[in-house]
Amino acid sequence: MSPIPGGASRQTLLVEGGGRRWVLRRDPPDTGSFAPLEDECGLLRAAAAAGVPVPEAIHFEPEGGRFGSAGILMAYVDGTSVAPRILRRDEYAGARERLPAQLAGALARIHSIDPAGLEGVPAPERDPALAACELWERELDAIGEPLPAVEAGLRWLRLNPPPPPRRVTLVHGDFRLGNFICDEGGLAAVIDWELCHLGDPAEDIGWLVVRSWRFGNDELPVAGMGALEAFLDAYEDAGGERPDPQRLRWWEAIGNVKWAVICARQAHDHLTGARRSAELASLGRRICEPEWDLLEQLPIGSSASRPGPMGSPEG
Amino acid sequence: MQDRPTAPELLEALAELLFTDVREWVPRERRFQVLAAANVCAVVARELRAGREPTLADLELFRALAAGYEPPDADEGDEDAARAAAAELARAIRAGGLDDELPAVIERLREHVRRKLDIARPGYAD
Repeated sequence: MSPIPGGASRQTLLVEGGGRRWVLRRDPPDTGSFAPLEDECGLLRAAAAAGVPVPEAIHFEPEGGRFGSAGILMAYVDGTSVAPRILRRDEYAGARERLPAQLAGALARIHSIDPAGLEGVPAPERDPALAACELWERELDAIGEPLPAVEAGLRWLRLNPPPPPRRVTLVHGDFRLGNFICDEGGLAAVIDWELCHLGDPAEDIGWLVVRSWRFGNDELPVAGMGALEAFLDAYEDAGGERPDPQRLRWWEAIGNVKWAVICARQAHDHLTGARRSAELASLGRRICEPEWDLLEQLPIGSSASRPGPMGSPEG
Repeated sequence: MQDRPTAPELLEALAELLFTDVREWVPRERRFQVLAAANVCAVVARELRAGREPTLADLELFRALAAGYEPPDADEGDEDAARAAAAELARAIRAGGLDDELPAVIERLREHVRRKLDIARPGYAD
């Protein structure tokens, strides 16, 4: 077995034997604070049944079973999830053309999954927009670093939420470049379902287009390779409900809050010694990037008249 | 006084070493870590060159926005003073005390974020 880098909180291991390969995703030993992996296993199967490309979940073992900690054995999916490779290498040129529409189709199918039969998917107790504001406020308090720009943006978002969504759906929660395994044909699998919850489907689109996930291709909002309008057309064609521009902009803005808080959290984990890592430490100095985008996206003052990262206010 | 190279000059030399030679020695899948290390050196070099100015500007901004905030008169360093004022401002914003002037507060905080970007990621805001 060998570790596959990239998993933030869970261990992802490559398992090889008899000329075959699998992936084992399991909790790190002595932790149990994440959404139970057994529920993630159910999600993967529901997603596969809905036609979303995902790694096949072969077998789940609980804590103390044959995988040590709780774990899911999954089929190995060929390809890469490393964003700069997908965006820059020649062999993925065809994949880049197909990927935005494939992502739109996959996301529309995720949002069509009936959550009634799914265990352990958290549902917001109130309006999803306000629930998101409260979540990031709590997380900021837990980290304890003062970030007045994040607070100001978050306060504005709390005071100006979109109306509750017409339909609450399953939300992937981390649908962005980095969590898509791609091969030369395009999308091979959507991975990392641990942040799945019920909410406003626009949340997934807003997070997808956050500037950090364009990896330098700033003018192409959809994973650094596609235009927003074409993506929304494909999402609608696949059965998704097209969000209005203000709603989408709100969720992109709070996506920047989320990324700023995650950067602060990772740097904090380094500083407390929970996970010493130069890479995590350096994320503390990236907080200002989503802070800038957040404040630019609010329709206030000088930014109200100029196009934000998402394009013109009309979308 | 230390002899030259100065601290930022040394960090810049280290960043050049990482960006050029070390990058070539490292396997392709691991190069991003070398580039990340070089970038950290460049960030710290810019911070040292900028001196106290950006921190003092932030301190003044935070104190102006968090009206009524009484700074402790202990002779704390610039960084600690700015952090304490930032915490006070963050609390005031969260509590809704600045709701009436929130657009103006956000406008002014763009200056603070730009000062951070000038050190950490020049060009990002342009």
